[in-house]
Amino acid sequence: MREIYLIARREYLAYVAAWGFWLSLLTAPLLLALFAVGPMLAGQAEPTRALAVIAADPKDAEAIAASFAARSTEIMPRYVVVPAPAATPQEIAPWLTGQKTVAVEGEGRPLFAALFVKRTGETVSVDYWSTNLTDRSAADRAVRAVSERMRADALSARGLDAAETARIEALAPKLEQYDPRGAPGAAVTDRDRAPFVVGMILSFVLWSAVMGVANMLLTGVIEEKSNKILDSLLTSASPLQILIGKLLGVAAVSFTLFGVWGVLGGGALGAASHAGVAGDLAQAALNPALIGAFVVFFLGGYLIYGALFLALGSLCDTLQESQSLLGPVFLVLTLPILFLIPAFQNPQAPLVVGASWFPFFTPFVMMMRAPAGLSPVEFFGPVLLLVATVALVLVGAARVFHAGVVNQASAASLRRRLFARKA
Amino acid sequence: MTDALSINGLVKFYGDKRAVDGVSFSAPQGQITGVLGPNGAGKSTTIRTVVGILTPDQGQVELFGAPISRENLRRIGYLPEERGVYRSMTPRAFITYLARLKGMKASEARARADVLLKAQGLSAYAHKRIKTLSKGMAQKVQLAAAIAHQPDLVVLDEPFSGLDPVNQRGVESLVRDLAASGRTVLFSTHVMEHAERLCDRIVLIANGRKAFEGTVSEALAVVPRTATIETEGAFDLAAALASHGFRTEADGEAHGHRKWRVALDDANASRRLLAACAAVNAPLALYEPARATLHDAFVRIVGDGVIGDME
Repeated sequence: MREIYLIARREYLAYVAAWGFWLSLLTAPLLLALFAVGPMLAGQAEPTRALAVIAADPKDAEAIAASFAARSTEIMPRYVVVPAPAATPQEIAPWLTGQKTVAVEGEGRPLFAALFVKRTGETVSVDYWSTNLTDRSAADRAVRAVSERMRADALSARGLDAAETARIEALAPKLEQYDPRGAPGAAVTDRDRAPFVVGMILSFVLWSAVMGVANMLLTGVIEEKSNKILDSLLTSASPLQILIGKLLGVAAVSFTLFGVWGVLGGGALGAASHAGVAGDLAQAALNPALIGAFVVFFLGGYLIYGALFLALGSLCDTLQESQSLLGPVFLVLTLPILFLIPAFQNPQAPLVVGASWFPFFTPFVMMMRAPAGLSPVEFFGPVLLLVATVALVLVGAARVFHAGVVNQASAASLRRRLFARKA
Repeated sequence: MTDALSINGLVKFYGDKRAVDGVSFSAPQGQITGVLGPNGAGKSTTIRTVVGILTPDQGQVELFGAPISRENLRRIGYLPEERGVYRSMTPRAFITYLARLKGMKASEARARADVLLKAQGLSAYAHKRIKTLSKGMAQKVQLAAAIAHQPDLVVLDEPFSGLDPVNQRGVESLVRDLAASGRTVLFSTHVMEHAERLCDRIVLIANGRKAFEGTVSEALAVVPRTATIETEGAFDLAAALASHGFRTEADGEAHGHRKWRVALDDANASRRLLAACAAVNAPLALYEPARATLHDAFVRIVGDGVIGDME
């Protein structure tokens, strides 16, 4: 135990002292925050776009202007409808190309777009002029505003009141969803669905973490093998002790990352716990049972794949050499991702249930299924099988690891070690 | 006294290749034993088996009179042939780490690391990362780590390789100090001079087999000793010395003189030869009794073709 502790401690301190650890620690929350507020910041950073509307019927221009005015503070980027500086596309071109400007928020800016709304009887056409060929959001909103007016005019012409029309269009049945396992009469809410969303997120986090951490182990062992430090360790500890020490050390690194991210994420979710969907997700994510399941499945998945990566890494002298050996492992590690959506939609689907009993998929699929209210057999059966597989993989991996680190590995010696019985 | 190390009929295969083939030898406690042989002879495989990294395919290895176990491996200090350190660790942390893995308490290991670093002149670098040290310094750190836990048997695989002459002398001195403090030292080398200067006993391995085991004197004794003599003019030394019982062969000419090689059959032969030369009034231009070296001994034992890259 002492050797395992010392090896794990050294691994932990080595990784924590490295720049990469601090980059990982800070990058993930920063990226998450960036994804959350990035689009809003980008929209705010862009100056208000100026639109000109030239309509044969002034009411069309009013409808379009009203549409942009109503949502000018909600939608990014912001738009403002300005008086048209010219009446035809040819005349307005200098304002669209930036040769001339219009006054917007106290400064001169080119027109972002010009909308020409034409009417021929009941036929209405909208010509959208802009140098931006990709962002059609202004055109779409203008078309929606004109459509609403056209429908209102048509219904009005047939004797229907505009308010009454709106009321009829809003008619729809009220849907309530119930779970027979829930409280009598209590409808299913977003709060009830939140654990499944959190399960899927955690399953993906689990998968990414196992993938990333296993790679850390792989590169670490190849480096140690190439600089021959393992020969010194092998006189003090058995291959199994070295293997477990390394696995535990890197697992501790992962839990440190998860801990810091958890505190930051928990704080953010806690702050938002009174706000709708965020509050529901916060409550689901902070559920101790789900956190416990995450820890168990992370350890299971990490130990299986980590041990395999260590064993295969010990057979290689360079990263390039390792790529060919690791191909099949990466393939197996990629497959559980295919079960994320099916398991989210139906945790009891036969394929999903079957996958949860396959130990190499168990951690990821069970993490998805855990919130579904599984029976003890459904939950602990795959978990026990996972634990047994972890033990087998560790013993097998230790044998390969030994063969690898003493440079004896060959197909024949591998077979001998994997299937040798202790005398 | 029990041998610190005893190897009996050791066989080790790499695939189908017999890397070590029935090697047997022992390392008596408190002595310096050198394992010599050309590269690829099986020295490192033998040593890696001794320290428990490799498992013998046949034969036994005993440490301190008992089969290899975790407990008696703790009494071994090992310096691998290919140097390996954690480059991002400090020398003090590295030495402490390996000493603790061998069972030392943290405080003792740290104190021992400080003592060793001071002895190696590396105190100023104790808290710098090893990657900032020179190669020679890093090797000193690794050597210090190998002996930090004060092992009873110190096993050094090619400890002089990669070191400059000054550092080689430092390692020689350390080996002598270890032996003087009662520890057993086993080291491998393909450089004969180190073995000749340091070893109480030597083991020659060639092609995976033991070719010789004994003291340095015993090894040197297998080489016939000779003296080289140069005489002026046309003097026939062979004829002159025949009546004194010396076998003398003409060996061409050198520096304008006739050159002779005379066999020295015993320890006093050189003194007797010189006296005989004086007695026959030999016009000596050069008198040089040749001293046999381990290299000569091993060429004699295993042949020129096998000795390979030994220096």
